[in-house]
Amino acid sequence: MAWGGRLVTRRLWLAAGVSMPLGWSLAVPRLLIRREGDNLRISAPQIRFLTGKALDQLKNGISVGFISQILCCGNESGTSVFSRSGYRFVLSFDIWEQKYSATRLGPPMRSISRLSVPAAEAWCLDELAPIPPSLTPSRPFWIKLELRAEDPKESARIVGEPGINLTRLVDVFSRDPRNQQQQHWLETAGPLRLQDL
Amino acid sequence: MRLFLTGVLLAGASSLIKGEPSQITPVVNVNSRYVVESIEIAGQDQFTLSAGIHEQIQNLVGENLDPASLDELSERIRKEIHAKTVTYRIGRGDQPDQVKVNFEVTRRSIAFEVNVPKFLYHSTQGWTGVVEGVTGYGSSGVTFRLLSDNDELVERNTGILARYENKRLGTDRVRLGFQFESYHQSWNRTTRDVADPSALYRNRQNFEPTLTIQLAKPLTLTAGVSFERFQTQFPAARIESANAVVNTLRYHRLLEDSDAQKQVLDAGYSLRAATTLLSSDFGYARHHWNFSYTFSRDKQTLLVSFIGGVIAGRAPLYERYVLGNSSTLRGWNRFDIDPLGGNRMAHGSVEYRYHYFQVFYDAGAVWDHGKDATPRNSVGVGLRKDGFSLAVAFPLKDGRVDPVFIAGMNF
Repeated sequence: MAWGGRLVTRRLWLAAGVSMPLGWSLAVPRLLIRREGDNLRISAPQIRFLTGKALDQLKNGISVGFISQILCCGNESGTSVFSRSGYRFVLSFDIWEQKYSATRLGPPMRSISRLSVPAAEAWCLDELAPIPPSLTPSRPFWIKLELRAEDPKESARIVGEPGINLTRLVDVFSRDPRNQQQQHWLETAGPLRLQDL
Repeated sequence: MRLFLTGVLLAGASSLIKGEPSQITPVVNVNSRYVVESIEIAGQDQFTLSAGIHEQIQNLVGENLDPASLDELSERIRKEIHAKTVTYRIGRGDQPDQVKVNFEVTRRSIAFEVNVPKFLYHSTQGWTGVVEGVTGYGSSGVTFRLLSDNDELVERNTGILARYENKRLGTDRVRLGFQFESYHQSWNRTTRDVADPSALYRNRQNFEPTLTIQLAKPLTLTAGVSFERFQTQFPAARIESANAVVNTLRYHRLLEDSDAQKQVLDAGYSLRAATTLLSSDFGYARHHWNFSYTFSRDKQTLLVSFIGGVIAGRAPLYERYVLGNSSTLRGWNRFDIDPLGGNRMAHGSVEYRYHYFQVFYDAGAVWDHGKDATPRNSVGVGLRKDGFSLAVAFPLKDGRVDPVFIAGMNF
């Protein structure tokens, strides 16, 4: 019995060890939406986009660019768009300090350095989007966050460019990734109401 | 519960942003603050980079890392050697706060390109055109040429040239080459009138295996055998051969004094010795010397060159020296100077270029052993850009000015 009791205890620990992180990840929404005055603060600290080829490039000392857009929609499919905003950021990895730096290509342009991978990811995916005037407090809406690693050829061009225009944003996200290796993420949150935030 | 977790995560993310990390002046690549210690290019034994690229590399070393310049450099390398991709990695240097840049070149599995090495019009001698296709795999390269050349020799030769070259035979210092040529000849009327009919031929073929050894960094020796045969026209069609041992010693050195200044020194000696030991119908030794020096500074370039040659013994017409073409005694017609060429030759040239503008002076003589040499001179001006050139040359004769126009590319 004692032997059986130890076994049961081990199984319980094992089950708990597996289920707790799983439960945590299911319980925590991947998109966090918070109201700050006339803006919505949208963050996605759980999205792990510094992986694969992008991470390899960073470790080789090469900067990697990403482009992101936030859609505020009247339905889940995203066909009714209230507002659209986009931004770009470039990450690099300090060869000597072994830390990451991120630059958000403005306006306003801002940078941060000496970050770990999760911190860099969280900093990049934390954005303020203005609340669309047509959005009433009781009207349901959805927030979509799209993220795409920029093609290296595009990355070379974005250096020095101050911002991004909507035409180019729509153009980038309306076409398929140039190749299978071009990474792409999409997260949706909703239905939400302003009165609940 | 959900709101609580959300709050915790937001607080965590906020502390990451507002905590230890510091806001800095925006830079896209944080490694830009480090100094480039060295730049290496992997697999450089497989290809040769131009002096301009070496100069660009030297300019980047010792400066702060500039990713845009590295991107530009990698693109330039890719275009120059027709590589599939050129990528680079940045790693720690030997000294603190310095970085090493390592370029990696991925070659195309099979590259193919078409070039026009020479295309020109000479107002007294007509057209010359050479088109070549070049392909390669690894260290091997194959060149195939179609040409009709009325500029280099006494004859106009029209035909093909095929060449295989292995640029790395076991070691970087040894190259192996096989060349095959097959031409059909046509003769200028002046040459036909004065030549011994038995010296003229209607077609010729040459097969030439060679081995090139790099004796020292700027000094190479090429040795091989030329199996040349041709079909004479008169008095009856017959095959003759001029099989020869070929040797070339070449010294080529690039001197770069500063960013805007460049000097190139090129010198060579070649010997073709036809002997009956190789079943040749001709026995002769053809010696050829060349020397050139180029000095460039900003938009100015000065070129000084000298060539000389001696043939001992009886050689076929294609071996004889000619002057008065697109590169020697410009302005003279080679058939006016000597329609059969000569077995002695000396020529010197000085050329000055400023941006697109060029002015040159040529002097030289071609003659036969035992006869007096007649020195000739010419001057000219022209425009030159990206291989295209347009020149007008004036032979300095007794009180007469007969301008000759030369236009074309890569000559």
